[in-house]
Amino acid sequence: MSNYRHIGKDFLPPDIVGKVTGKAKYAEDFSVDGMVFARVYTSPMAHGRVTNIDTSAVAEMDGVVGILTADDLPPVEAPNAPILTNSPAYIGEPILAVAAVDEKTAEDALARIRVDIQPLPFTVDPLDSLVEGGPDAREEGNVYVRTPEGSGFRTVKWTREQIDEFRAGNEPTGVSVSEWSYGDLDQGFANAKVIIEEPFVTVGYAHMSMEPRTAMAYWQNGVCYVYGSAQSQSFMIPGLATLLGVEQKDVVLISENTGGGFGSKIGAYPMMALPAWFSKKIGRPVQLRITREQEYYIGSARVGFQGWIKVGFAANGRVTATDVFIVEDIGPNATGGDGSSAGEAVSIVYDPESMRFRGVPVLTNTTPRGAQRGPGQNQIAAIMAPIMDKAAKQLDVDRLEIRKINAAHNGTTANTDQEPVTSAYMKEALDMGAAMFDWPGKRNKPRRNGSKVVGLGIGQGYHSAGATGYDGLVRITPDGKIHLHSGVGNLGTYSYASTTRSAAEVLKCDWDNCVIHHGNTEANLPWSSYQAGSNTSFTHQRANYVAAMDAVNKLKEIAAATLGGNAADYDIADERVFRSGNPGQSMSYAQAAERAIELGGLYSGQTWPGDIHEVTQRAVQNLAGSGLIGVAKDNLPQEGVIPGFAVAFTEIELDLETGKYEILDYVGIAECGTVIHPQGLATQMKGGAVWGMGMAGHERHVYDPQNGLPANVGYHQCGVPTYLDIPANLRTGAVDLPDPQSPFGARGIGEPAMGCSVAAVTAAVADALDGHVFNRTPISVDMILNHVAGRPQSFKPLQTNNY
Amino acid sequence: MDLATFKKDVWGREVILGASWDLLWLVTVAAFVIIAGHAIVMAVRRREPKPSSDGERIVRHRAADRIFHWVMAASVLVLLVTGVFPIIGIEFPWLTIHWISGLVLTAAVLFHIVRALFWQRLKCIWIRGRDFRELFDSSVKPGKYSIAQKAMHATVTVLVLLVIGSGLAMFAMIDTPWWDRSNSISEATLGWVFLVHGLSTLALIAVTALHIYFGLRPEKLFYTRSMISGWISKDELAANHDPERWSPGKSSS
Amino acid sequence: MASFDVMPDMQLFQPAELADALNLADRYREDGWLLGGGQDTYGWLKDRAKSPQAMIDLNGVDELRGIRDIADGIEIGAVTTLIDVIEDARLQRDYSLLVSAAKRVASPQIRNVGTLGGNLVQDARCWYYRRGLDCYRAGGNICYADSPQGMNREHSLFGASRCVAVSPSDTATALVALEATMVARSLDGERLIPAGEFFVGPDTHITRMTSLKPGEILTAVRIPAKWAGKHFYFEKVADRNAWDFALVSIAAAMSLDNGVVTDARIVCGGVACTPYRLHDVERVVTGKSLSEDTAKELEGLASKGARPLNYNHFKLPLMENLVRRAMQS
Repeated sequence: MSNYRHIGKDFLPPDIVGKVTGKAKYAEDFSVDGMVFARVYTSPMAHGRVTNIDTSAVAEMDGVVGILTADDLPPVEAPNAPILTNSPAYIGEPILAVAAVDEKTAEDALARIRVDIQPLPFTVDPLDSLVEGGPDAREEGNVYVRTPEGSGFRTVKWTREQIDEFRAGNEPTGVSVSEWSYGDLDQGFANAKVIIEEPFVTVGYAHMSMEPRTAMAYWQNGVCYVYGSAQSQSFMIPGLATLLGVEQKDVVLISENTGGGFGSKIGAYPMMALPAWFSKKIGRPVQLRITREQEYYIGSARVGFQGWIKVGFAANGRVTATDVFIVEDIGPNATGGDGSSAGEAVSIVYDPESMRFRGVPVLTNTTPRGAQRGPGQNQIAAIMAPIMDKAAKQLDVDRLEIRKINAAHNGTTANTDQEPVTSAYMKEALDMGAAMFDWPGKRNKPRRNGSKVVGLGIGQGYHSAGATGYDGLVRITPDGKIHLHSGVGNLGTYSYASTTRSAAEVLKCDWDNCVIHHGNTEANLPWSSYQAGSNTSFTHQRANYVAAMDAVNKLKEIAAATLGGNAADYDIADERVFRSGNPGQSMSYAQAAERAIELGGLYSGQTWPGDIHEVTQRAVQNLAGSGLIGVAKDNLPQEGVIPGFAVAFTEIELDLETGKYEILDYVGIAECGTVIHPQGLATQMKGGAVWGMGMAGHERHVYDPQNGLPANVGYHQCGVPTYLDIPANLRTGAVDLPDPQSPFGARGIGEPAMGCSVAAVTAAVADALDGHVFNRTPISVDMILNHVAGRPQSFKPLQTNNY
Repeated sequence: MDLATFKKDVWGREVILGASWDLLWLVTVAAFVIIAGHAIVMAVRRREPKPSSDGERIVRHRAADRIFHWVMAASVLVLLVTGVFPIIGIEFPWLTIHWISGLVLTAAVLFHIVRALFWQRLKCIWIRGRDFRELFDSSVKPGKYSIAQKAMHATVTVLVLLVIGSGLAMFAMIDTPWWDRSNSISEATLGWVFLVHGLSTLALIAVTALHIYFGLRPEKLFYTRSMISGWISKDELAANHDPERWSPGKSSS
Repeated sequence: MASFDVMPDMQLFQPAELADALNLADRYREDGWLLGGGQDTYGWLKDRAKSPQAMIDLNGVDELRGIRDIADGIEIGAVTTLIDVIEDARLQRDYSLLVSAAKRVASPQIRNVGTLGGNLVQDARCWYYRRGLDCYRAGGNICYADSPQGMNREHSLFGASRCVAVSPSDTATALVALEATMVARSLDGERLIPAGEFFVGPDTHITRMTSLKPGEILTAVRIPAKWAGKHFYFEKVADRNAWDFALVSIAAAMSLDNGVVTDARIVCGGVACTPYRLHDVERVVTGKSLSEDTAKELEGLASKGARPLNYNHFKLPLMENLVRRAMQS
């Protein structure tokens, strides 16, 4: 345990009370005078061209205020997501919006609108598009390639034989569009004693944010006020300004609380901009609350994988070579990149001596895809865990040991250019988990009880977990309050608050004396990272640290200027700045703040460092003269991959007669450097565990291939796990060893917390079935029953979007 | 009153659902009015003396044709009952009986077509220009079939072919012991198929009602008897037909 | 495509007397909507996939609520909540099969407000139908689920006729096994319908799941005394352990005499458009003891005659397994 005052201690984030009492305001809870309500009309077809929009039946309706179509908006070039479209590429893509005095009238109006659409060929399975003669999800092509050299659509086709061979489990021979490698792959496989080669599928599924993407907007003196549902806060501003066609200074985003984003609300998204455009057109504030069904259409989904992997193992279990090929389902808007991320995850979690990744991102006419907790890393974690176990069995190596042999450590290198890591303690995490779980004891327990079989699984999760170069902003006011300005979004993890604790730590101040400002551009927030990629803890601990250090330096300079001597002679404690060796010669933070205002310049924000972002500059400008301003960009040194790791151990009891399994025990261990907020970390680990269990066995993404229809348009149909599908007690722990490149040693954890869980469960299912590997998520009841009964599976090999 | 009803297809486009079953009442009422009107007219008209059924018997319908007629009659009646009763609220598991009857009807009609094409005189049932003289000159007598009978046959031919054609298309769209259903035809086309099936069914209801009515009328009852036993008497022939145009052989009995 | 989540305008009636409710049901017939716990209702109405003119809220009619002893068994009012069914001591003692089934309905929140009658008369859960498509069940002329590419994992094995949706009710299987009688009232009087005839398949009526006619209200369910305290077995297998419908469920009521089955009614849910009686299994098990050997003799009987669709043949072994478990209970 650390001796920190705030770091590593639980605290009560300021929004907790509002969330418990219901007083917390989400985007939908804001209303202003004259506000009207918008509803969107969406495409009933998976792919088509709007030929006519007939709104004549609506024009004369009482209470209808206006109609917005794609023609009212600036054109957007595919594959970028338009706000409204005349070329829908998935069922549920917004075509027009109606505004009315109330929601019922808006819906009544929607029912009377007639839109004619000419259907175009569509696909809901990448392999159906990849095959020669198969339909293309967009008229521009069926593949979208993003490279540093340029991005664009392509048409990529494999022969029917190539598709059939791939479906049969053989190495794909069709063309790939992205590839990277390191080491000598052939030599790696030559050195292997055991080679495991498997095809695999991970079905993508919805983000399932509890709060659909509501937004309300109005314009005032040329400034657009947007009340939105956002994962990030300051990070949204540039994107939102672009969507609205205005300068960043003319956008105010209010997003005090967010009911989940999970990757689907990282940056500004089209539906957030729709009310603003509508408001501009009709001159009234507009609120757009999309329905739950629509959230499933446009709220995005995880990228699906159809892949093939070949892993070579030396006699001691060391991974000598990995060759992976992934066909990605990137939806209609070419969003994803999960494939390569999956490859990178393999390169660090199992640290193969040589590796090759190849991929083809294929467009489909399904829900737009987006980063979802561990995008790529968590899909491949689910596939790799049973493969590791299969190899362990063939090599007669313990399943824990084979993971420890390959575990990431401080000397591990990652990715194609084999970068170093900032720190890595995977082996320590595995040992800690094994001890908490009692791996040796559980391994020797009887496995069979009637129709029930026990299965044990170990999972490992990873995501890069940090970024640099963002700004921090703290302020001390003459009343002695320490104002911690957080541009971090409040997506439910409380990292907007917990990362400010490092500023409080630096300032050695009482937490009760701190005030957090967040959730509103007008609260003067610094430029912040996106709240995604597990990065906030690392990134904003640093940003808050540098801002607080700036404040401390200014406190000392002010004290020196006021009380004499040099700044270096001064120290801080108990919210006072005092002369070292002479504590009586001191001034309070409040006095220093007052003095800062008198001194002006950098001290009180009249001027600011030249390298801070324009968002931060405006915040400082607005705060100028209100106190002592500590503001800085994070220029601390940083080198190498910043990893976040987690491991999980689970015990399941699988009933061979029902195809169901119960998760009896679960231990999740975080390896994320220093723990900065124990309760927050435990909650992250538990939330990630539940999500992983959902991905492993429950969450559904079903499309009817004939009509392109999605079946999952509600919580029930999507099959998120319930309380009765998860263990009553999810146990968590943390390695808690500091990372050297973080001022207080913390790295991020969000995504690995889930990856380890899904991997542990898929491994446990395989273990319960005597090593049978499904190579697929989710593993559903029907799959287990069919396997046990010796019946063929219902889906064709590598079929996706089928469960 | 609409001829058709409409629905949305899987992509929300308006397509035909089928015939408007409100027409059922219209058809029923119309058939009733025609029958009642005819019955009244016939009741007030002077009755012609009824020809004797005694004496020499002349073959009018061979056994194969009689069997065909009654098989067709039975299947049509079963089809109408199974098709229409559930619509008017009399519920029972109708579909299997319906399609089996439909197959029986199809087989019977095929048999009849082949037989008529190769073994029978097609001309005797086709309406020709001179047949219309019957309508205006009571002294003009028909050959084997009166113009009314020919018109009934022609109408039934068209309707039955329509109902069979559309019925077979619908049959392909349900599960049977031989195949699983598919949605291989578009919903718009399917709507037309249902519409044709429904409208031809409605027309068949009216035509069947008229056919039964005329078959049971006292002055026509001998035709019904001939469809059961095969013969008519020489008197009946003389009273209703022109021997120049139809000279059938004698009955074997 | 419009997407809705605000209910359209409609008349709301909240009768306090059954006579008034019957009058309203008769007045509005197909255009009226009988409201129990609302757990099937509100989805339909908020999605605007059904548009009744009037909603007739039955919750204020006291005589439709409560559990009463009757001469031959017990009577449960149709708007009795599922939680009241679960917590009733008499039902727990004598008809635990129904209690077990009710306990597995949906989730605690839904059981707190959902009613027994509502659970019995709830509509099909086929996702195509629930999407508001004009399929056979919605009065259309097509089934999207039973097609070469239809996604029909949850659909039926038996008794399909154009529509392949299954009966979703958990309590229905138990009540068919318990030989319950449904009490339906209308202005024409009372109609007593054996549970086995209450649920109708698409071959008979494709747009309704029960034999209730427009204007009729299910007022109560009666369970005969002959099954009180007999040997029961209920199991439901669903993807999730809460808030999910049965992939396959089994409800078995068996009279035992010295361990030998003298009478049996065994019903599967989730496999047909109605609760599906396993007549062959019942016949063979009668006269035998509950044992592994008996279970072996029954192999293949439960799923005999099944006509699986593209994605639901896993239900065959599941049915067989559940029968085996019932025989070992």
